[in-house]
Amino acid sequence: MNLSIITALLRKDLVLFFSNRFFALITFLALFAYAILYYLMPAEIDESLEMAIYAPELPTSLLNELTEQGMVLIPMESEQALKDAVLEGSYPVGVILPTNFIPNLVAGQTGQVYLYFSTDFEDEFKDLYAILFTEIAYMIGGKPLNIEVTEEILGEDRSGDQIAYRDRLLPLMVVMILMFETLGLASLIASEVSTGTLTALLVTPVRVEGLFIAKGILGVGLAFIQAFLLMAIIGGLSQQPLMMLVLLLLGSVLVTGLAFLIASISKDMMSAMGWGMLAIVVLSLPSFSVLIPGSVTNWVKIIPSYHVVDPVYRIINYAPTWAEVGDNMLILAASALLILGLGVAVLRRKFQ
Amino acid sequence: MANPAIIAENLTYRYGKLTAVDHINFQVGEGEILGFLGPNGAGKTTTVKMLTGQLLPAEGRAELLGMDITKHTKKIQSQIGVCFEQTNLYEAMTAADNLKLFARLFGVQGFDADALLERVGLPGKGKSRVETFSKGMRQRLMVARALVNQPRILFLDEPTEGLDPVSAETIRNIILEEKSQGITVFLTTHDMVEADKISNRVAFINQGKIVALDTPHALKQQYGKRALIAEVVSSDGNFTTREIVMDEQDTPNAVEKLFANEKVVTIHSEEATLEDIFIQITGRGLV
Repeated sequence: MNLSIITALLRKDLVLFFSNRFFALITFLALFAYAILYYLMPAEIDESLEMAIYAPELPTSLLNELTEQGMVLIPMESEQALKDAVLEGSYPVGVILPTNFIPNLVAGQTGQVYLYFSTDFEDEFKDLYAILFTEIAYMIGGKPLNIEVTEEILGEDRSGDQIAYRDRLLPLMVVMILMFETLGLASLIASEVSTGTLTALLVTPVRVEGLFIAKGILGVGLAFIQAFLLMAIIGGLSQQPLMMLVLLLLGSVLVTGLAFLIASISKDMMSAMGWGMLAIVVLSLPSFSVLIPGSVTNWVKIIPSYHVVDPVYRIINYAPTWAEVGDNMLILAASALLILGLGVAVLRRKFQ
Repeated sequence: MANPAIIAENLTYRYGKLTAVDHINFQVGEGEILGFLGPNGAGKTTTVKMLTGQLLPAEGRAELLGMDITKHTKKIQSQIGVCFEQTNLYEAMTAADNLKLFARLFGVQGFDADALLERVGLPGKGKSRVETFSKGMRQRLMVARALVNQPRILFLDEPTEGLDPVSAETIRNIILEEKSQGITVFLTTHDMVEADKISNRVAFINQGKIVALDTPHALKQQYGKRALIAEVVSSDGNFTTREIVMDEQDTPNAVEKLFANEKVVTIHSEEATLEDIFIQITGRGLV
């Protein structure tokens, strides 16, 4: 295929892409919005547990025990002040220890503890607080539980260095930014088919292969540059840059193939937008496995974008070796080529 | 006929069970304008699509410039210009950029978009986006685009349909200019008057078959009748029309009788139009 023809088609596609105000705006806006959002989010996780407490007589031993458990105690002036603070969401947990709490325990009688939780507090953690105060009560009553607990963290100990929410959000941002370009490319192709401009091109020396090469370069190029810029701005290339670039390139091929598929089933630009939005929703699902661990099950691994999300997350946070992300990379490369091939085959039929 | 630029032999195309073009045969000489006439759905555009390499014939073959269209598609396409029935310009691009894009695709060196735009009656419009153009301006730009590569064969599919008289006349003049430079023009239209004005020969296509093919003059001679139409005043003061068929043995007597017996107000000769002939041959109109 003649290089000057590919160049001419590519120039034309760039002009058309950026003459569409929506896509031009979303291209720049998404990049800067994501970068700004990333930097606005806290870089660290606050691991301390705040608990409001009202206890007219709080013994030092109890205070020390609670502090050792990693809790930050916030004293309240009254029972009502504590309840109001928890109700307003200022603190997730509040505890009231009546005046007779310690004397009762010491005398071998029942000590009453009042725990208050905010409305969205998880059930499992409510029980943990109850267990904590039960254990403390046994200790103060002179009957410590006869259990020795040995703690061991398997893998890297990230105590005090938890992964920040912004780094959990990053894989979602990468998928979204790649997919925005997919929307643009699919709409561009669908629009060219519906307006007949592609037909005009195909009665010139332009071959169908040339059209695909030009569109492929445009799709992969736009998606890759966008994702690369995002990573460069937020420092995502500081660890394993080559690995990250290969990953973004494969992700760009994947979304370009998807754009071809979407264009082949779309009647016009609006139809392409509709299908594209559906694709964005589906491809975003694996990101929630990182953003909110446990929120999705293993079946998300069949969605090809999982193999973008997982390695991005690991490269940003764990600096893995090539072998550690090898499976992801291979599956991603295979699915990207498969979808690209399928997209070309289906769209080719539409062109001809 | 001069050397044939287009040869169609048993050219056939089917959309499923429907035969859209049914074993048609014709030739178009170099520098000739062939008017390809027929109603909507007759098979005109399908024929153009086969001749320009957009569709593969189900049967038969087409040769353009001495080459088989199915075997040398891209080589032929580099030497033809196509003006489509549907306006398919890049609306978000300027008129000049539309033309320059195609000039690059055809590998035209030193292309002058402004000169071509001036030729089609769009001087100074090079920097205007196509989306701001009227229908007539767009159609003129479509014709300009078909001329970018200085084609040896020009395919024009309904180039003047729905245009204002000025735009239509501009396009007709361009067609005649191209013909004068030895370019072959394949003009599909259902405007019989236009075809009559500018075509060297016309082909009538109906239900996928060519039902007549000759010069407009020969077709009129073969199928049409010439007549004198006279408007006369009757004794009660009303106007009525009398028709005298020409070229018959009794015509002079009939004319003499008319003037002797009737009060003739107006009289003029009338020829059959291509549309009359088409209706006569096919039994249907052109819509």
